[in-house]
Amino acid sequence: MKLVKAFLFMLVVCLGRAQFPLPVPTLNGVQEGIMDRPPEFYTMGWEKGLQLVARETGMFIEVDSIGQQDIALLEDREQQPVLYTSEIETPVCADGECKLMHIRLYWTLLGDYAGFDRYPQQPLTKHDHDEFVQADYLKLHQLLLDDKSIFRQRKIDELVKKPSPSDHGDVDALSGATIAEVKESVVSGALYSCYVAWHLVHGEISGKLKEHTLALLDKELILRMLQNDDPDYQMFALEKLDKVEYLGHLERLAGIFKSSIPLVRGYIIKNLPEEFWRDPAVQVPFWDAFSTIDINSRSLMLEHLEEAPKSSIVDISIKLGSMTKNQLRAFLDFLAERNNEGEIIENLKVFANRDNEVYAYLVLQFLEGYKQ
Amino acid sequence: MTHSHKILLVLGLFFCIASIKSQNLLVEAESFENPGGWVVDPQFVEQMGSPYLMAHGMGEKVKNATTKVSFDKAGQYHTWVRTMNWAPGDWEAPGKFRLKVANEVLEKTLGRRSGWGWEYVGLANIDKAKKVPLELIDLTGFNGRCDAIYFSTTKEEPPTSPKKLAEWRKTVKSETNGPEETKTYDLVVVGGGIAGCAASIAAAEQGLKVALIHDRPLLGGNASSEIRVHTEGIYGNFERILKMLDTEHYPNGHVDAEIDQEKRDNNVKSYDNIDLFLNWRAYDAKAENNIIKYVDARQTATGERKRFTAPYFVDSTGDGWIGFWSGAEFSYGRESADTYGETWEEHGELWSPKVPDNAVMGSSVLWGSKEMESPQEFPEVPWAMPVAKDYSKVKGEWQWEFSRNDLSQIEDAEEIRDHMLRAIYGSFSNAKKEPENVNRKLEWVSYLVGKRESRRLVGDHIFTFKDAVNEIKFPDAVVVEKRAIDVHYQTILEDERNPDFISEALFYRGIQYYIPYRSLYSKNINNLFMAGRNFSCSHIGLGGPRVMRTTGQMGAAVGFAASLCKKYDVNPRDIYKGYLPEYLELIEEQKYRKIPESKK
Repeated sequence: MKLVKAFLFMLVVCLGRAQFPLPVPTLNGVQEGIMDRPPEFYTMGWEKGLQLVARETGMFIEVDSIGQQDIALLEDREQQPVLYTSEIETPVCADGECKLMHIRLYWTLLGDYAGFDRYPQQPLTKHDHDEFVQADYLKLHQLLLDDKSIFRQRKIDELVKKPSPSDHGDVDALSGATIAEVKESVVSGALYSCYVAWHLVHGEISGKLKEHTLALLDKELILRMLQNDDPDYQMFALEKLDKVEYLGHLERLAGIFKSSIPLVRGYIIKNLPEEFWRDPAVQVPFWDAFSTIDINSRSLMLEHLEEAPKSSIVDISIKLGSMTKNQLRAFLDFLAERNNEGEIIENLKVFANRDNEVYAYLVLQFLEGYKQ
Repeated sequence: MTHSHKILLVLGLFFCIASIKSQNLLVEAESFENPGGWVVDPQFVEQMGSPYLMAHGMGEKVKNATTKVSFDKAGQYHTWVRTMNWAPGDWEAPGKFRLKVANEVLEKTLGRRSGWGWEYVGLANIDKAKKVPLELIDLTGFNGRCDAIYFSTTKEEPPTSPKKLAEWRKTVKSETNGPEETKTYDLVVVGGGIAGCAASIAAAEQGLKVALIHDRPLLGGNASSEIRVHTEGIYGNFERILKMLDTEHYPNGHVDAEIDQEKRDNNVKSYDNIDLFLNWRAYDAKAENNIIKYVDARQTATGERKRFTAPYFVDSTGDGWIGFWSGAEFSYGRESADTYGETWEEHGELWSPKVPDNAVMGSSVLWGSKEMESPQEFPEVPWAMPVAKDYSKVKGEWQWEFSRNDLSQIEDAEEIRDHMLRAIYGSFSNAKKEPENVNRKLEWVSYLVGKRESRRLVGDHIFTFKDAVNEIKFPDAVVVEKRAIDVHYQTILEDERNPDFISEALFYRGIQYYIPYRSLYSKNINNLFMAGRNFSCSHIGLGGPRVMRTTGQMGAAVGFAASLCKKYDVNPRDIYKGYLPEYLELIEEQKYRKIPESKK
């Protein structure tokens, strides 16, 4: 029976496609082929005045029983690539019953999810045919942002079956946590739509889009990515730059170092060339961020105390409270081996005498054993 | 240990330095006759110096720990308690307690100093010297801890620094350098997780006399009902042995772990030629000319010591302690992607870094709560909130994991555990403020650190990602696995708004991969096997085989290898070089042996 229903559905779909052209997207921001506003659900930055036009790429997503869904590259006025997009029409089938889902998807130049537009005339619907409300779209957006979702690991039928304790031999049986994770991350009543959308976004096409970008890649594009606020673009650009180029873009690197995510910060510290660590002056903006960056990045910075500017060592001695216990120990170990400015010792004394500093006792112990 | 032994031991703690005429008594908290609701925690001995008592009441005060001690003379004694405020800050310490001496509760509230050290309690009046009752009175139910109590007629505080304290302790206890009793075996297995249990069974079945030393009362390590991680992976050739030890696929943290616990303990105990040393923790291993001569271990409550000698040793401690003490080569942290060709572009730096670092997968502390029939109170926990922030949950699964590059999973394990406790209590406190959780009560919170990664001892072969991806069928393949390579990272690396105690898993799915025997014995310590997460692998190589049926396979494989070592009087490496066909045949045979009904 289910098969018959599915067949009838496909027939209607095919006939429908034959009679009507693809629906015109809403298109929040799409006017006569020019896109001048960001997608409704969007994760990247959008510069004021940015206008994008579509260019064919020859790439497509193959959708069951519907066929090829073309993918366009959106370029700015300078013909620089900005996003990929595709107007998707795809069946979503559950329990033998299928319906069409319409959505316009966007990817970054690295093939990651960038956002989507909905079609007001063809809203997404749940299993019980209720239409998505705004909160549901937002939840879908959040789900699509998670490129490591449990959906990557699991087939749809695994996600609707609850494991029983008797699944002893089945090492892949789902744990309670997995069921909870799925429940928390999908739009209630729309597991199948969410699953289909996630796999459209993060499926094979993701890698192909990145390959397409790599074919277009030149120094200008790399530097544009470096200037971007997106951490994935930043990391991609950092991986493409050589040591000399690191030194040539230190101002931007310091900016990223202050504002980006811990993963990118850590990469910068670990990959700055030796020349950088030999020149205290250029390090100053990085050390200035010492007390505001994340703990992991701070630990990596502390590995370079020997090369740090003297003024930064003094600055750190004012900010001892920003360090973890082991970081403070590392800093004190470093001080124990050098002739310290009087200012540093004074700062340590102030810290050691504060009642509310958890690790004041470490500094006190240090001072007790310290000989100038 | 009999009661009279305990009394003797407490008496043994008494010492007197006649020349300065002071009277002194050191009482180790873990040797209290009746710990009441306090638990003995021996996890961090190498760092803070001793097992200790902890009031792990999940927010409800625990029953008093009690004991009786005898002084040489009655009189007034200055009294100190070695303790630590485990979450210091601008709030009341979470784990406060008081000390009662000879029926008098001393006024000073304890558990308030930062870092392990001595808190002065005050003067205790000892009217009658014999059988003086001592009690630890928990005031909060939130993990107050007491390592030792020291009485002295002179007001001279014992040392704080770990090194000086260790020397002082030896003096106080009149402890000789080595244990007085030596026991000799064919094989000494240290660490009673699934790997150590499997190694012991395999060797015992082949007729070896085995000592299995384990620092907990229950076997199973991460799979035990004290940590409650379910076993994953396949059985390989060792289904018969591993089914005696493994778990059902209950959710992590589930109470059903207790059912498997009983099965496991009974099965291991059923082997006459396994001498099981539960609650014994190894504290040293000595090698001469790259041959381990002995392992020393201490009873976690009484402090009694024994020396274990054998021609062969298995390090299944997880942290690679036996290898570490005996001078075995080891690694820690992430190799660069180029070191073993472990790049996986899809996940880039999160998978394998361009430059090596000391990041590792973290440790978990599992927990859960349950619905009760009436409203349940949960105290305010301001000391937990800087960690938990606004995170709100009623239970914790594998994602509750903590690793940070300034913390060693070995040296800073106590801080890691305590960080997780703050995460748990704080998140539960947040959840309790939601109306639907008014009847919720904490059911179980582990106090043991469930580690994923620590030292990896280096063998003749280092198992890597490439070995798994290329599915290399080594000539000495003794372990086989189908489970995905599963490497974790902390989600805060991608977004600083995430809690720092939640991880994410990256999966690489292959078909099947093999671990060679050469990854299961030390490269430079000639009579040392290893099984468990401290086997010879790279950081990424560990991602798949770290689960417990796989580590169990490793254990069984080294147990059988040890039997051939004994048969031919050779070292582990010689089995690979000269006796491989016989070894592989022995392993192959295991497939066809039936599981006795009594051991299911």
